[in-house]
Amino acid sequence: MKRLTIRRPLALLSAAAMIGASALIWSQAAASVAMSEGLLCDTDPNQTFSLTAEDGYVSTPDGNSIYMWSYGNSKRSFQLPGATLCVESGRPVTIVLHNTLPEATSIVFPGQKSVKANGNPAQPQFDSGGSLTSLVQPAAANDGSVTYTFTAGSPGTYLYETGTDVDKQLQMGMYGALVVRPAGHPNQVNDRADSAFTAGKEYVYLLSEIDPDVHLAVERNQPVNWAASTARYFMINGRSMPDTLAPNNAPWLPSQPYGALVHIKPYDAATNPLPATIRYLNAGSVNYPFHPHGSDERVINRDGHPLQGPAGQDLSYQKYDLDVGPGQTLDVLMDWRDTEQWNATTNPIPTQIPAITDQLLVGSDTWFSESGYLGTKNSVPANLTQNNECGEYYHIAHSHALEQATNYGAAFGGMMTVFRIDPPAGCASQ
Amino acid sequence: MFASAISKIRKVPGRWARRIVIVATVLVVGLAAGGYAIAKGSSGSTEFPQSAAIEAQYGVRFSRIAVVGDGGLVTLTYVVLDSERATRFQSDVQHPPELRSEKRDGGTKRVSVMKQGHTLRAGQTYYLVYQNTKGALQHSAKATILVGSLSLQHAPVL
Repeated sequence: MKRLTIRRPLALLSAAAMIGASALIWSQAAASVAMSEGLLCDTDPNQTFSLTAEDGYVSTPDGNSIYMWSYGNSKRSFQLPGATLCVESGRPVTIVLHNTLPEATSIVFPGQKSVKANGNPAQPQFDSGGSLTSLVQPAAANDGSVTYTFTAGSPGTYLYETGTDVDKQLQMGMYGALVVRPAGHPNQVNDRADSAFTAGKEYVYLLSEIDPDVHLAVERNQPVNWAASTARYFMINGRSMPDTLAPNNAPWLPSQPYGALVHIKPYDAATNPLPATIRYLNAGSVNYPFHPHGSDERVINRDGHPLQGPAGQDLSYQKYDLDVGPGQTLDVLMDWRDTEQWNATTNPIPTQIPAITDQLLVGSDTWFSESGYLGTKNSVPANLTQNNECGEYYHIAHSHALEQATNYGAAFGGMMTVFRIDPPAGCASQ
Repeated sequence: MFASAISKIRKVPGRWARRIVIVATVLVVGLAAGGYAIAKGSSGSTEFPQSAAIEAQYGVRFSRIAVVGDGGLVTLTYVVLDSERATRFQSDVQHPPELRSEKRDGGTKRVSVMKQGHTLRAGQTYYLVYQNTKGALQHSAKATILVGSLSLQHAPVL
């Protein structure tokens, strides 16, 4: 009896400990699963999404905290940019917009046809005096809602964005990406077989800008001085360099869930034959001349439509600078090819590689390890630094309007990230 | 304490009622313990230590270490407290801060894509990017920042 008296509390204590440990393990597992690289999609079997227009704050790398508005998934918290929605071409899409903002807001879907709002054709709205109030039927301020429906159009990438008080609300962050996939071909950009990409190597680069003075005025409910408006922060997926290098759902960026690191291996006809795809969108007010160093990219779609002739001729083209205009989208394929097949023993580079000091971009930083061979490292002078641990390449990719590659003027930052190319065998240390 | 709680539960009338109370108690105790551990773990992982000596000498307060670049890179951010000293710190490329893992024998030295020569504004945050040498730093680990003869221990790695 005595033994039972002791054993039962012990058993119960053990059970409690197990429950506690399970809660801890579950919490840690959930946290570790959350971080990832590449495109994060919101999907739904019925292609029905619930978005909430809400306010929140984002952080910039220089320590600023900026008041924003955006479209978050109604089941999650505020995020910038709006949730990336992935749907299949030719199937109905339903988006329910709930509005918690203090003014009316809406969503327009450029490139989608026959959009309906609450069952009626989506169309401009006017007040009693005949002045335009919204490009489509809005959700009223403070808990209004509206339901938009359409059939997903041509495969490709589209912006969705506010159609109400557009200058202000777009600046405040009311935009997101809509990815339309070809039916039955989730790993193609469009219906053409030559738009296939490697599964999992898919990236969205939603480019945008922030004038913090506008955001401060809106937060304080003060008038906005548009004449003096100047963008100070430039972003990829709502983040500025170096936050662009951080994984999806980095815990220190709770409102900015999307990273912008491209991570690939060299093209190989046998083992890595397909390219990656990058979907560029411009939600800002000016052109962003986005320039990936190291390799050109093949533009295959513009504004959700394939670059092809009437008979299906391939009109895609290679580009080293992607000029993404305001409201425009470009879908590109990119790979990295070891064209010359340089090999230190069998096919050495037939010229002397310049001294490392001739290759420094600014200061003492370099992404070069005194070897031009992918996967090979040589020693560098002690006062210099390098970044490629296993001889992998990091190609900078950034806006070539260099003021857009700063954090409020401090270089480098802003609309910048890196493309990481690993040796064919990968990086053993990582 | 636990045995005493069990003894009190035994006084609850009805066999099934007692069982329900016992199960509920076990659940509450277990979840509370788990919740405490989670809270303790999360606060421990986000609180960044400070060093008055480093701040006085270099004019900067380190604020975050994060593994980025799919594990290949590390960012170290710092807030500028004293513009002059911080500018000297950032420009001294031959004596960079070093990050040492507290979990394994490894570390990494400074690499920067922040342009040297900035006039660093007090109150603003700036950053350095490091190679994550041999994967020395990992999420949820702790690191020591070595700068000159000073060190800042137990910095959480995000």
